[in-house]
Amino acid sequence: MNDLHARQRVRLTLRLVAALGITVFFLFPIYWLFMISFKTADEIFSYPPKWYPGHLQFGNYAVLFKDGDAIAVWHSLVVAGGSTLIAMFLGTICAYSLARFKTGGEHLANWIISQRMVPPIAVVFPIFLLYVWLGWVDTYVGVILLYTAFNLPYVIWMMRGYILDIPLALEESALVDGCTRWQVIWRVVFPMCRAGLFATAIFTFVFAWNEFLFALVLTRTEVGTYTVQVTHYFGGQSNFWAKISAMSVLGTLPIFVAVAFMQRYLVRGISLGAVKG
Amino acid sequence: MAQATAPRQADFTDRNFKYFLVGPSIFVLLLIGIFPLVYLLVVSFQGITMTEVDTSFVGVRNFAHLFRDRRLWEALLHTVIFTAIALPIELVLGLALAQLFLDRLPGRQIFIALLVLPVVVSPIVSGATWSLMFDNRFGPINQVIGWVTGSPRTLLWTINPALVYPAIIVAEVWQWTPFMFLLLLAALANVDKSQLEASAIDGAGYWRTFFKIVLPAIWPVMAVAILIRGLDLFRLFDIVWALTKGGPGTMTETISVFTYVKGFQQFETSYTAAVALLIIVLLSVVVFAALKRVRLAR
Amino acid sequence: MADLKITGLHKYYGSVHAVKGIDLEIPAGEFTVLVGQSGCGKSTLLRTIAGLEDADQGNIEIGGELMNHVLPRDRDIAMVFQNYALYPYMTVFENIAFGLRARKTPAAEIEPKVRRAARMLAIEPLLDRYPRQLSGGQLQRVAIGRAVVRNARLYLFDEPLSNLDAQLRDEMRGEIKRLHQELGKTMIYVTHDQIEAMTMADRIVLLRDGKIEQSGAPLDLYERPATRYVAGFLGSPAMNFVPAQLQDSGALGVQLADGSVLALPVSRQGKLSARRGQPIILGVRPEHVTRAGGELRQGLARRTALIELVQPTGSRTYATFRLGGAEVVAELQAHDVSQPGETIEVAIDMNRVVLIDPASELVVS
Repeated sequence: MNDLHARQRVRLTLRLVAALGITVFFLFPIYWLFMISFKTADEIFSYPPKWYPGHLQFGNYAVLFKDGDAIAVWHSLVVAGGSTLIAMFLGTICAYSLARFKTGGEHLANWIISQRMVPPIAVVFPIFLLYVWLGWVDTYVGVILLYTAFNLPYVIWMMRGYILDIPLALEESALVDGCTRWQVIWRVVFPMCRAGLFATAIFTFVFAWNEFLFALVLTRTEVGTYTVQVTHYFGGQSNFWAKISAMSVLGTLPIFVAVAFMQRYLVRGISLGAVKG
Repeated sequence: MAQATAPRQADFTDRNFKYFLVGPSIFVLLLIGIFPLVYLLVVSFQGITMTEVDTSFVGVRNFAHLFRDRRLWEALLHTVIFTAIALPIELVLGLALAQLFLDRLPGRQIFIALLVLPVVVSPIVSGATWSLMFDNRFGPINQVIGWVTGSPRTLLWTINPALVYPAIIVAEVWQWTPFMFLLLLAALANVDKSQLEASAIDGAGYWRTFFKIVLPAIWPVMAVAILIRGLDLFRLFDIVWALTKGGPGTMTETISVFTYVKGFQQFETSYTAAVALLIIVLLSVVVFAALKRVRLAR
Repeated sequence: MADLKITGLHKYYGSVHAVKGIDLEIPAGEFTVLVGQSGCGKSTLLRTIAGLEDADQGNIEIGGELMNHVLPRDRDIAMVFQNYALYPYMTVFENIAFGLRARKTPAAEIEPKVRRAARMLAIEPLLDRYPRQLSGGQLQRVAIGRAVVRNARLYLFDEPLSNLDAQLRDEMRGEIKRLHQELGKTMIYVTHDQIEAMTMADRIVLLRDGKIEQSGAPLDLYERPATRYVAGFLGSPAMNFVPAQLQDSGALGVQLADGSVLALPVSRQGKLSARRGQPIILGVRPEHVTRAGGELRQGLARRTALIELVQPTGSRTYATFRLGGAEVVAELQAHDVSQPGETIEVAIDMNRVVLIDPASELVVS
């Protein structure tokens, strides 16, 4: 028996070592990115490269703020936040209709899901031209609307599953007790699928926050998101590296913080989407 | 308690409530669902190029050009290569990781939380990070290789034709393996334990159990994962753009990069529309064929 | 309170004809039980009355007003669900107050009303708890409290006691009956349990396969069933059925398969003379097959019974024997028999048997 325990302990230790190694391996590039953002230009271009900054200096960040480039993060927030809120609201009530009333039957449900497979590159062109005609290029409205459209299928698909899990009797009881259909959605459905709402929302937000192609095409100077801003520093050397890393960190840090708080929802959102469906 | 007035009859809003709920969503979805399709269909049959704006019907000229365009088919090939290499790697690595973290482990929650981070980084940032990592003089990759081989190496990862593919694939795999890992972890956790126990009692070894019992059980989730990631890889743009912009030359140009260049740098409007239509058709065929084999719809 | 009138109600689920033309009138203040097996349409009927389902054909009138196109919230009804349907994220107080809040009742009125309902159901100390902290019985009281607080004119119960264990069910049956006496509202109660139906109803409506098999006071249905189905449904243990034949000559009696005859009381013979010689089903309840004493009253038929099965309940013992080839359960005193294989003299009360036409399954006497 001791032999078995010893073997299990060895296995556990090995697994722990492997887990540590793998985690370090996956996190290293992120560490590198963060670290570069704190280095001065000389430190960045010292050879051989040092793996730690001499001291933590925020000069690179100061430059971004001074030049006004950091506003890109704010644009990202408005765009991602706005589109997430709208997509969650419209998508959830649409999912409710699909779940409880089977509106549009299989055809509508399939059409909505198929929209998720639309390749962005194929539609970005017509939409760009449409926006030019509407005067929506480089506006909040335009980008938010597009992100909302792109997130809706996912929201609808996920929320439909969560809503179907709510016992019907809860809603029927509310109907008899005096709720209008709207009140049932607000007072019963939304609270009951709160976990699903968070999981879907965080996933949707991250997707919009990190999006690049549409932002590249549809924004210029007014609402450029941080992903676009980062690419403005490409193709060069020297201080551009510092800006690349600093801007990247500025855009990535908020997501890391959000994920830290919502971690279990995010994990649930990713895995449940597949396991459920 | 008697009603003082006659009871309120259900009105138009009540009866059609369910349509009001889906209406706004459908309206928004039309923006990406119907409008682009119509537009592409119309424009691809016109003659708008960089130099002239000819909105007359030009027949299938643009589509004929599609088939003769070497660069386009190369782009498709590049895309397929990326997908064919990256997807299996992500799958196997993800599965291995999932297996590693399946049973209890001290600090498991923290490990998983940390491993999620590459997924939530923007692909652009991922590309930017790896271009820093791969830098020939100041990147740690070359430095480590130098340690291992004894002499300093300057490998031009983002320029050397032999190295650009590995570079892009490494960045892509780094970012998305955790995604596979999470999905497969959930799937593995749902495998019926009693089946595994029965197999152990029957004397089946590790690999036999894995292939005969575990794999079939997680196949539905795996299929979804493969479909999702496969589609994403087909649309690969951000990481390539950040690392090589499709270069050197057009060596790493994926179909998305190609289309972007044609449309927004060369302004070949009508031709780009034709290309876009081709992409949609190709994608639809692949998805349709895949869905037939893996029933997704509930 | 209000009365309920249903005319010609039909309901389809796809191709399934769940409710096949039901006419029902329930006077105000009455406690009506809709009872039947699973799938007989009783829940569908209830939900249609509530407005949770639309009728495909027919009319529903509450208090004389047509309700077909009125939303549930405007019908002034209250409903208690089988699975309680309590909101897990609200306290008991909030759950009960839910309907009042939805109707924008002034806050000042809500508290006293909720407290009064809670007191009526003995759950006042639980008002601050959450549903997950309550037992099954307590949950059911909260669900009833939520219905009671609104002072609706019609109360609907959808198998509310099905999820409770036997002892709790006994307790709650009495509570609900007492509630009805206190409130005096019109109540419609759906169940598959015939004991609940018998003990609680002012009137029973027995449903079968989407139609009303028979409706009336509990004892009416019990003592004067209209069909074999009703006769076999009510009563526990169930009525015994023996295939037989009416004698075609001599005094009118019931001739069993083994040739022996059970004499019928003279008062019953008149109606049956037209059926001489025809096959008949003899239905007799276990409580009407008892141990024969010395002298038998008028109308009792004596038989010798070889006991095959003995089932004691403590207060009585049920013994199974064969009569004319069919299995019959007799209700005996606790110690009348103790072992299979014993023989005992039984008396069959021919005043109380029902005779059923095998073809139409209607009770003819």
